[in-house]
Amino acid sequence: MLSLPSRLPRPAWLTTPLSRFVVAAIVLAALVVVPFGLNNYYITLLTNISVYAMLGLGLNIVVGYAGLLDLGYAAFFAIGAYVAAYLMTTYNWSFWLMLPLGAALAAVFGIIIGAPTLRLRSDYLAIVTLGFGEITRISATNFSFTGGPNGIPSIPEPTLGNFTFQTPLQYYFLALALALVTLFCVARLGNSRIGRAWAYIREDELAAQAMGINTTRIKLLAYALGAVWAGLAGCFLAVQLTAIDPTSFTFNTSVQILIIVVLGGLGSIPGVILGAVVVIVTPELLRFLPPDQQPLRLLLFALALILLMIFRPEGLWPSRQRRREMHSYDVSLVGTAEAAAEAELVQEGAEP
Amino acid sequence: MDTFLQQVINGLTLGSFYALVALGYTMVYGIIRLINFAHGDLFMVGAFAGLSLLSSLGGLAGKMSPFVIIPLVFIVPMATVGLMGAVIERLAYRPLRRAPRLSPLITAIGVSLALEIAVELLTKAQYQLFPSVLPSTVWSIGNVVISAAQVLIVPVTLALMAALYLFVQRTMLGKAMRAIAIDQDTAQMMGINVDSLISLTFFVGGALAAAAGVMFGTYYGSINFDMGFLLGLKAFTAAVLGGIGNIPGAMLGGYLLGLLETFAAGYISGEWKDVFAFLILIGVLTLRPTGILGEHVVEKI
Amino acid sequence: MKATIRHSLVAALGIVALTFAVAPVAAHATVPKAGTIKLGYFGPLTGSNAVEGIDMENAAKLAIDNWNKKGGVLGDQITLDAQDSPCVAAVAVQAAQKLVTDGVVGVVGPYCSSDAIPASVIYHRAGIPFITGASTNPKLTEQGFDDVFRTVGRDDEQGVFAASIMAGWHAKRIAIVHDNTTYAHGLATQTQVALAKHPGMKVVFFDAIVPGSRDFTAILTRIRSVKPDVTYFTGYVADGGLFVKQFVSLGVPGRIMAGDANNGAEFISLAGKASEKAFITGALLPQMVPSAAGFVKQFTAKYHLAPGPYSGYTYDAMNILLYAIQKTGSTNGATLVRFLKGLKNYPGVTGPITFTSTGDRKQIQYTLLTVRHGQFVRAM
Repeated sequence: MLSLPSRLPRPAWLTTPLSRFVVAAIVLAALVVVPFGLNNYYITLLTNISVYAMLGLGLNIVVGYAGLLDLGYAAFFAIGAYVAAYLMTTYNWSFWLMLPLGAALAAVFGIIIGAPTLRLRSDYLAIVTLGFGEITRISATNFSFTGGPNGIPSIPEPTLGNFTFQTPLQYYFLALALALVTLFCVARLGNSRIGRAWAYIREDELAAQAMGINTTRIKLLAYALGAVWAGLAGCFLAVQLTAIDPTSFTFNTSVQILIIVVLGGLGSIPGVILGAVVVIVTPELLRFLPPDQQPLRLLLFALALILLMIFRPEGLWPSRQRRREMHSYDVSLVGTAEAAAEAELVQEGAEP
Repeated sequence: MDTFLQQVINGLTLGSFYALVALGYTMVYGIIRLINFAHGDLFMVGAFAGLSLLSSLGGLAGKMSPFVIIPLVFIVPMATVGLMGAVIERLAYRPLRRAPRLSPLITAIGVSLALEIAVELLTKAQYQLFPSVLPSTVWSIGNVVISAAQVLIVPVTLALMAALYLFVQRTMLGKAMRAIAIDQDTAQMMGINVDSLISLTFFVGGALAAAAGVMFGTYYGSINFDMGFLLGLKAFTAAVLGGIGNIPGAMLGGYLLGLLETFAAGYISGEWKDVFAFLILIGVLTLRPTGILGEHVVEKI
Repeated sequence: MKATIRHSLVAALGIVALTFAVAPVAAHATVPKAGTIKLGYFGPLTGSNAVEGIDMENAAKLAIDNWNKKGGVLGDQITLDAQDSPCVAAVAVQAAQKLVTDGVVGVVGPYCSSDAIPASVIYHRAGIPFITGASTNPKLTEQGFDDVFRTVGRDDEQGVFAASIMAGWHAKRIAIVHDNTTYAHGLATQTQVALAKHPGMKVVFFDAIVPGSRDFTAILTRIRSVKPDVTYFTGYVADGGLFVKQFVSLGVPGRIMAGDANNGAEFISLAGKASEKAFITGALLPQMVPSAAGFVKQFTAKYHLAPGPYSGYTYDAMNILLYAIQKTGSTNGATLVRFLKGLKNYPGVTGPITFTSTGDRKQIQYTLLTVRHGQFVRAM
């Protein structure tokens, strides 16, 4: 069985809370300071990474934490974007009001979409969520209040008192702020009682039910709380692009977000962020290719995807629990030194 | 009445393509619980394989009797793409057989992308014309128009599906496949060569998709690298509608979806037809969570 | 403790260093070489619209090659910076930013209006003139940016023309079919609006097909039962050719007409014999403009493909930009924009080009085409 050794020792700089804090602080400082020296292309790249990181973290709740295969996540992205676009252009409402509204509406949508899937087996709900994603996109294309295929253009810039967001750098900081909020909340959710309940129903739904967990409520919460972050990301997209239309919310978009989550490592927050970086940056790396070889950019991405999944199916930066799960079926490890080291770590109480 | 009959014919024709491709999805899902996103692209590759064959035969094709050229344009792509399906399984999916469910799904997405881009590069993204190997006679009964191609498509599809059904139900190999679908480990312990049979499943699925691709190409007359994606998605929906993992279910789902879509476009609205199709799918799944003919798996604790 | 702090600092520095390392490497590759002038193109070079995107890029390249053969512009050679923009707005923004940071002095493209509008904001902020040869959404030039132009006509103009043709045929019942893309939907609604001004003409059918689905028999059967005098298909050529073919084989009554996106050789090959029954509204094809004969020959010889529906417009757009640079002797955005605003009757392969005050093309001459012996010919 192909697998990297599961016994990569945990790097020292991630073990103690203090070192983790220092690393986080330095990374944060870099994210704030470095962009001042970058040109707009890179700033836009970082902005897009932030947006897709938010999307990935949100889908991570549904797919990674709760184990529900959602193939139509772009629908929530669309809701946030259209709500912001419509209210800002028609009624001139403030962008800051759009954020809670977009998030709330996305959550409501999450419940509406989640409700029919409760009784379905895992792969059936994939097609239902796919269907809802398509229904959302087609509705946005057909209704005139959403602007039809043209979408909604001329979305005003967000303002904060006298200050208007205009340059890519300013938009970047807005995106970064939203992404950090998402990161914080999703991390807390993962470690909360709800997070544990999600893990429970992911692993064994029947057992969870037997233990008294209301699976209906918990699953709907997963959809709703997962959708919220896509709603926020959508609001941001609307002001970043100043014009939104249905082609930004296709099945391909949903697939892209799913790839981010699985590639990075299901249920792992640093993994998802890394996934977002890989998915956004890889096609951009080869932009210098001559135009008739442009499809090679995506071909390389496709091959990278295939190889990465074959050689590292747990993802680029999997949560430790997943890594252990992945290789726990490796019977050949029994009795080896690696298994002993693993057992030691567990006894030490290392974080799962 | 004429319109109704015409729509029935339209729906059955469309449904044939969905059904053939849905069969491949359902077989693969039944045996290893994988939604093979690359399957729709095998349909596309099959069409291109047929086109390559016809182009390389060139003038020779015109001189051959239809009784030779038609089977040839089916069999060669079917064999080639079937083989391709089996090779893809061996290289990309087999290493992930014990992995969590989502990893091979992402691999399948990668394979699908790779196939599309490969063909995109080879054809410079241009639409290719597919020569018609079927006679182009058209019959009109009143206002109802039916072409020779349509008359052939449905029976050929049904014949292929019947052959598959008999194979799975009546032969030893088929029985072994069904055993693997029920419980892979036990089947292996019973001495069934799981690896070979899974390869065979992919081979058959790919062959059926290729047959659909060739028929599609010759019927509509144009093919391009992008055509497998949309149809694959519809076929997957059809397979789920009928009950995924279930061969008669895929057949039923395919034709049902074809008719549904056609009637939605024909009587309600062209731009909303997919919404109706999905809403009906969701409705069906709400009432029967495992699809129309899906097996109701009783979970014993 | 000391070790962990040391390790943490090393790791963090590594992350920061990596970030800094990536930036200059790519920044280096993008500054234009001294002695060259860079022009930009963005459009779908991958994905389902790649055919049109590549076609337009070929046209832009051809224009530049012709200028370079004559010594370039302002004594410098011209290079084309082509970026992929596959009809996803967020990627279009990325592509536009790339072009701007690469130092282009003018941009042509894209294909999808969904790309054009967000990208135009970026070009406007950078003060770079932007001429589109394919985006027909009226909103593009209504944003109040004075540096956005188009060489292609707007949907409202073609719609008026189509309606007048139908009136000329004394058609009473009209069926309009689009595909829910910005272009097709725009043309369809504008035609409907124009038809409303003709009393006695009624739109009896207005619906959309799904692009790429190839099977239009369901909707055509419904159209057949409504018995229209004219059916107008406003979608793209890959669907249009098949639509017309199926229209004829199903025996739908009345005439069949298609919008200008079907002005390509693909239409004839896809529709086969049925193409002779179809009419197409559009601007004059380069093949029919005497001054443009050279363009068609050159394009076909160089790329072994016939020019598509938008290559003429894009070729003109690129030529106009280079012409502006030459005439003003400058690559400064504001200077070029001023010149472009005053452009009158520039001899393009799609006819004489004059820009209006909003950047649209003035008085584009539409005509009706049909097919005879596998070639487009004028029908009026």
